[in-house]
Amino acid sequence: MRGKVAVIGVGMIPFGEHFNKGLEDMAQEAYIACLKSVDKGIDPKEIKAAWFGQWSGGMIGQGAQSGSMLASMIGNMEIPITRVENGCPTGSDAFRNACIGVASGIYDVVLALGVEKMRDKPGSESLIGAGGGKGGGLGSHPSWMMGTGGPSLQALYATRQMYELGCTMEDFARVAIKNHHNGIFCPYAHYRFEVTMERVLNSPIVCWPLHLLDCCPQTDGAAAAIVCRTDLAKNYTDKPIYVLGSNIGLDHANYWDKHNFTEMLATVRAARGAFEMAGVKPEDIDFAECHDCFTNTELMNVEDIGICKKGEAHKLLEAGEFDMHGRIPINPSGGLKAHGHPIAATGIGQLCECTWQLREESDQRQVEIKNGIALQHNCGGPGFGVSCVTILSRSL
Amino acid sequence: MSAPAPASPVFWRFNPEIFRLIGVKCKDCNHITYPRRKICPVCGSLNIEEYKLSRKGTVHTFCINWVLPPGLEPPVPLVIVDLEGGGRYQGIIAEVDDPGQIKIGDKVEMVLRKVDTDRGINVYGYKFRLAEES
Repeated sequence: MRGKVAVIGVGMIPFGEHFNKGLEDMAQEAYIACLKSVDKGIDPKEIKAAWFGQWSGGMIGQGAQSGSMLASMIGNMEIPITRVENGCPTGSDAFRNACIGVASGIYDVVLALGVEKMRDKPGSESLIGAGGGKGGGLGSHPSWMMGTGGPSLQALYATRQMYELGCTMEDFARVAIKNHHNGIFCPYAHYRFEVTMERVLNSPIVCWPLHLLDCCPQTDGAAAAIVCRTDLAKNYTDKPIYVLGSNIGLDHANYWDKHNFTEMLATVRAARGAFEMAGVKPEDIDFAECHDCFTNTELMNVEDIGICKKGEAHKLLEAGEFDMHGRIPINPSGGLKAHGHPIAATGIGQLCECTWQLREESDQRQVEIKNGIALQHNCGGPGFGVSCVTILSRSL
Repeated sequence: MSAPAPASPVFWRFNPEIFRLIGVKCKDCNHITYPRRKICPVCGSLNIEEYKLSRKGTVHTFCINWVLPPGLEPPVPLVIVDLEGGGRYQGIIAEVDDPGQIKIGDKVEMVLRKVDTDRGINVYGYKFRLAEES
């Protein structure tokens, strides 16, 4: 894939609670913002295929989503559109498939769009129920999934991180403090307020050892990206961002089959493949947007990507290395923790942030660009067994 | 209200798993998994044999869930248990006065309990309880 695909436009809507907007409104606004972001202009008819990220529709009563939904939203019946659903990396995988569509040589210009409407339902009917909740889950077995939910799926890791790696609840809270601070400077972030150690540790326990403020919010949002053949990119923009690699890594969907609870092998595999494709190393990246649906998730995945060794992330975080102006900033957008997690929009939202940062258009939250390389990471799905890593660069 | 179904398919489909704890062991990589499968999830081998899980084990990791969908009263301690003789089982710990006392490494054992009702029929399965100190 290296060198074959360029991002020529990205657009998103501010993530948050949009009572006044439906799925279609949000998707259309992100699409229009994305078209307008192509600085030399683009005729929508130049888009020859699209991949539509949508996770929760059928699960929470918004109807089964498919390609025709996006075709109607963007008013284009003449192109093939495929719906992608692959857990929390749904948007990232829609983008990855769009890149494959271009890299294959079949299409010149394509769209990836992710949208999620989560705030119309109470949490107990969406992510909390999604883990299996009262029972059921895999094969409808009555007890395996009992008592689970979104937070428990990461809390099982957090307990073991504390036991084996010496992390504390204070270390987890530091992720929230950092990412909330970054979110203040991001006009697209859901939460734009600081949190303190006391506030995080005194917030209610959602699933021990995780507090309410260790959890990302449930968010409405939409984000879109247009990618094209590298040799055509300069027709659309003077500042194309190149896709060096994009890879999906997997691990067991069942927790009882997992190797351990201090690393996510899905992320290890996704990163290994993406770095190999890109021909770069973890030390080459300037910053990362890294999945932090829960605070402990960021610490674990920073290690699994290869940014530091296992058990080091919480120490480097405390030393300020992951701050916006630290050695390697993690989540300058505010991350899922403050920016929000509208599932299918999350990954493409992270890619928007990476693109803006690499173009040095991020105003107050601009990180220092040295090598011009960014990494985007998104994980989740059954058993947190799906992970996607994409590496972007401003030069080839 | 619809009339209760004459039998719950869950009973039929999972009977060997739910009550007798029959899983499989891979003869190539030794991975033990559950429920029974035709292909080893770790190495893809078809060379597998039935394997009966132990009802006893130790807590590998756990969490205490306070935010639950309707039908469960918090707090619910959720555990991943390393079973004696191999294999892991995911479940909840019942009959614990103070979930705060649970620790990684604690010995636990399975007890058969009602876990749900499916169309009017009780559904039973295993939960864990902390094993008596010997």
